[in-house]
Amino acid sequence: MKIGVFVCHCGSNIEATVDTATVAAAAREFPGVVFATDTMYTCSEPGQDEIVDAIKEHNLDGIVVASCSPRMHEQTFRRTVERAGLNKYLFEMANIREHVSWIGKDREANTNKAVDLVRMASEKLMNNQPLYPKKFTINKRVLIIGGGVAGIQAALDCADGGLEVVMVEKTSTIGGKMAKLDKTFPTVDCSSCILGPRMVDVAQHPNITLYAFSEIEEINGYVGNFEIKVKKKATYVDWDACTGCGICMEKCPSKKATDTFNEEIDFTKAINIPFAQAIPKKAKIDPEFCTMLKKGKCGVCAKVCPSGCIDYEMKDEFITEKVGAIVTATGFDLFDWTVYEEYGGGRYPDVITSLQYERMLSASGPTGGHIKRPSDGKEPKDVVFIQCVGSRDKSVGRPYCTGFCCMYTAKQAILTKDHLPGSQSYVFYMDIRAAGKLYDEFTRRAMEEYDTNYIRGRVSMIYPKGDKLLVRGADTLMGTQVEVDADLVVLAVGAEASKGASKLAEKLRISYDSYGFYMEGHPKLKPVETNTAGVYLAGACQGPKDIPSSVAQGSAAAAKVLGLFSKDQLESDPQVSTVDIKRCIGCGKCIQTCPFGAIKEIDFRGMIKANVIETICQGCGICTSTCPQGAVQLQHSTDNQILSEVNALCQF
Amino acid sequence: MKFQEELKESIRKALPELDVVIGWCGSFDPLHATPHFIYGEEDIEKLEISPLNVHNLATYLPGMRGKKVGVVVKGCDSRSVVELLQEKLISRDDITIFGFPCTGVIDQSKVKKAIGYVGNVQSCDMSDESLVVVVDDKPHSLKLSEVLAEKCKSCRYPDAIISDYFVGDRIAKKDPAEPNYKELEKFEKLAVSERFGYWLKELDRCIRCYACRSACPLCVCRDHCIAESRDPHWLSQENNVRDKLMFQVIHAYHMAGRCTECGECQRACPVDIPILMLKQKMNKEVLDIFNYEAGVNLKDTPPLLSFKMEEENITEKDW
Ligand SMILES: Cc1cc2nc3c(=O)[nH]c(=O)nc-3n(C[C@H](O)[C@H](O)[C@H](O)COP(=O)(O)OP(=O)(O)OC[C@H]3O[C@@H](n4cnc5c(N)ncnc54)[C@H](O)[C@@H]3O)c2cc1C
Ligand code: SF4
Ligand code: SF4
Ligand code: SF4
Ligand code: SF4
Repeated sequence: MKIGVFVCHCGSNIEATVDTATVAAAAREFPGVVFATDTMYTCSEPGQDEIVDAIKEHNLDGIVVASCSPRMHEQTFRRTVERAGLNKYLFEMANIREHVSWIGKDREANTNKAVDLVRMASEKLMNNQPLYPKKFTINKRVLIIGGGVAGIQAALDCADGGLEVVMVEKTSTIGGKMAKLDKTFPTVDCSSCILGPRMVDVAQHPNITLYAFSEIEEINGYVGNFEIKVKKKATYVDWDACTGCGICMEKCPSKKATDTFNEEIDFTKAINIPFAQAIPKKAKIDPEFCTMLKKGKCGVCAKVCPSGCIDYEMKDEFITEKVGAIVTATGFDLFDWTVYEEYGGGRYPDVITSLQYERMLSASGPTGGHIKRPSDGKEPKDVVFIQCVGSRDKSVGRPYCTGFCCMYTAKQAILTKDHLPGSQSYVFYMDIRAAGKLYDEFTRRAMEEYDTNYIRGRVSMIYPKGDKLLVRGADTLMGTQVEVDADLVVLAVGAEASKGASKLAEKLRISYDSYGFYMEGHPKLKPVETNTAGVYLAGACQGPKDIPSSVAQGSAAAAKVLGLFSKDQLESDPQVSTVDIKRCIGCGKCIQTCPFGAIKEIDFRGMIKANVIETICQGCGICTSTCPQGAVQLQHSTDNQILSEVNALCQF
Repeated sequence: MKFQEELKESIRKALPELDVVIGWCGSFDPLHATPHFIYGEEDIEKLEISPLNVHNLATYLPGMRGKKVGVVVKGCDSRSVVELLQEKLISRDDITIFGFPCTGVIDQSKVKKAIGYVGNVQSCDMSDESLVVVVDDKPHSLKLSEVLAEKCKSCRYPDAIISDYFVGDRIAKKDPAEPNYKELEKFEKLAVSERFGYWLKELDRCIRCYACRSACPLCVCRDHCIAESRDPHWLSQENNVRDKLMFQVIHAYHMAGRCTECGECQRACPVDIPILMLKQKMNKEVLDIFNYEAGVNLKDTPPLLSFKMEEENITEKDW
């Protein structure tokens, strides 16, 4: 191999602490190197031209650039060498900026280290092989998992962009948490007025197929060609015929069913439609409350239903959908706050969650928008809000900030005054985090115009006192203890990943953090991508987010999908594992460890062998470190390539 | 041994359904036993169960895939069988396991050390406590406890863990909860330079015969071992201690959480290099991190042969 080495000054970024001319001179002595020079800005146009010219002039068939991180410019230089007619994998990069010049001041030591890194790169390069991507066709349909505001936004943007969309929502209506909210900060406009029309659009869009009350059973395949098994859970109601008239719900005698949509502040019927604006507006039976399904007696709904939709024999149904990309928008759920014994651990009826309070404030909620104490139905006068319940609290394993509680607490305090002008609200807070357009102004309004009493400190104890609740806490600004006799206590409970998020992540083969929130491809540069090609994130499933950010992510994920589908064929990355069939003994260890299910057993002339499916392999290299005889090798990071680097560096 | 006849009876019963049963019989001199392949009645008679049966016969199993094989196992050997089954390297339907309560085997190196020259062994009489070896008309009386293999002294699984036929009375497990790593722990306390020096000195003797590899029931790569391959080219064929050490390190890594500590590698080594310690070190770490011991439970998946998003005892994301 004839190698050319280019050592970049990066202006003074590198040259200030690395003697690049010396590095280039040292490189000329390495095996295989026939040309080496230092250049001012290798990535600039003249810098790249220099590489192209050198390849032609010296007949180079491999290039090393010693400069910045490959994350920065590997693609750039690969294109450069390709322009000069070389295969782009006959290129190596030595990071002498982030790994050398930026982290050390000793010019001599830095120069020596840079020489070592260049030697490693050129030794590896001598083991490089030209690699060629394969092309495959893609299925331009997209699956959206979760029908909250983020999922809705992604679905509508994709559908408007001409894609066929399949949406799978776990509950019997889309809308997510936003559908439960009364008004939204910072504009205090009505949540259902802005969300409702979007939900209707989803139902009516010719490009969108909605599976509500459904879950993802299985995901197979890879970017461009996923195969999804959807479980349509039994509703016991024929949704094709159901008109959503609600007569069944009216007549059902079983009145004690859990009302999850209303956050359990009231009961619903065994057959129910979650709320008037539900999409789809269809009834479903909750079997654990239906006397017909439990005891075989009743059958009232079947008798009254004018469309004859009730089917007590209905079973779960499985449907297979083929898509090319997936947007995950499964949102969040509230932390189980009952671990806080000091707040009563769930024993006091007048200590409620913020989301329950939203339902109480909502005109379409069970109280018709009247604020009433759950214990006695009386209007409260003194309302205490406690922030950071299950947020920023290591003692309950939730050290992170939920981010939107400060804002909705201010909103709820404002709304409380609107609903009950004679009331007084108190907010116990740690800090006010109101970073966002018009956000700080909003919290100030709650304090200044709505006379909310903000107390900086934690609540240490809540206990009943007559028909009131005594809330005792610290005012850390005043350095005193405060006690408030409250009629109602509202807990701003923090968000955690939605139930079952980690199980879904494993099906999607994406990573999640210790709280179940999905991991983005890069915290700054790939906020809606995941490390699995073709799987994107939107909304609070990636971390707590308010509505504007969730919607922005929904649109961003849609843009990513539309971008992906702008081509008819995708190129697979050739930096994947391949099995050397001669060396494979068919022990199956790689199959067991591959986190992406990319390796399958095949029969080769009667012998068991492993086989990597290129399009599924993500190039993680776990199989290669598992295979004892090195039969499976990750292309571009083969054992020999790594060993040559190690041997270049470590002399024993 | 008391149950030897009973064992023969079981083999007699099972043999018609099997291609072969592997056991042990006498060898070139009375002090040695050798693996014995039983195909018919006359072979059954030669079977002998004795403290000389050092060989772990599970080593043969992966190479006989597809055949119906019976195998006689000591407690420790049975763990290798379990591990092979766990790794799906052999099929449970194809093998028939004969177990017995093992009271320990002799370490030939210790005998050699005690007697000195062991050329012409005329007889070897064993009782429960002692052993009388006659070499060149000279009798040597040895206490069994003095020549017992190290692993047997702290054996926690004297009865086969898994068997289709079990003969004799089971010996209660001594202390199944605690593997004995006392010697290793002592070694771990030495300075890095001392430990490295120790291995350089020990491994300098290695003749790269690969007997350790061939004896290991779980070294299943055989002809494809990376010790002799060019692609990937992990080791050169040069005679230097660097490559010898590297080979043992690779062996130990490949055995992490798989090695059942049968000690065959070390027993097979013609130059007595204490290589079992390297494997024990890996197992100790695996026990520590994954709370796992190889070849004990058929249902377990060896921890390094599975992928988990989040490991219980490895916290990558500390807040
Ligand atoms: C009390 C409270 C008040 C708030 N007030 C405001 C406000 O005023 N302004 C504001 O900007 N933000 C507010 N927020 C935040 C707002 O709720 C979120 O920003 C928003 O709901 C996030 O939308 P999402 O689509 O990401 O998630 P979600 O709304 O949680 O939607 C997720 C959807 O996915 C579904 N799903 C979950 N798992 C699965 C699965 N495995 N398969 C299929 N479907 C699944 C769920 O059923 C749900 O429909 C408030 C939050 C709370 C708790
Ligand atoms: S781990 Fe290696 S030998 Fe075993 S099946 Fe996979 S490629 Fe083949
Ligand atoms: S590199 Fe190996 S383990 Fe990783 S995804 Fe590819 S086949 Fe699976
Ligand atoms: S490495 Fe040695 S002790 Fe471990 S299983 Fe193999 S032969 Fe037995
Ligand atoms: S058996 Fe001993 S000498 Fe032979 S390769 Fe193994 S360690 Fe070296």
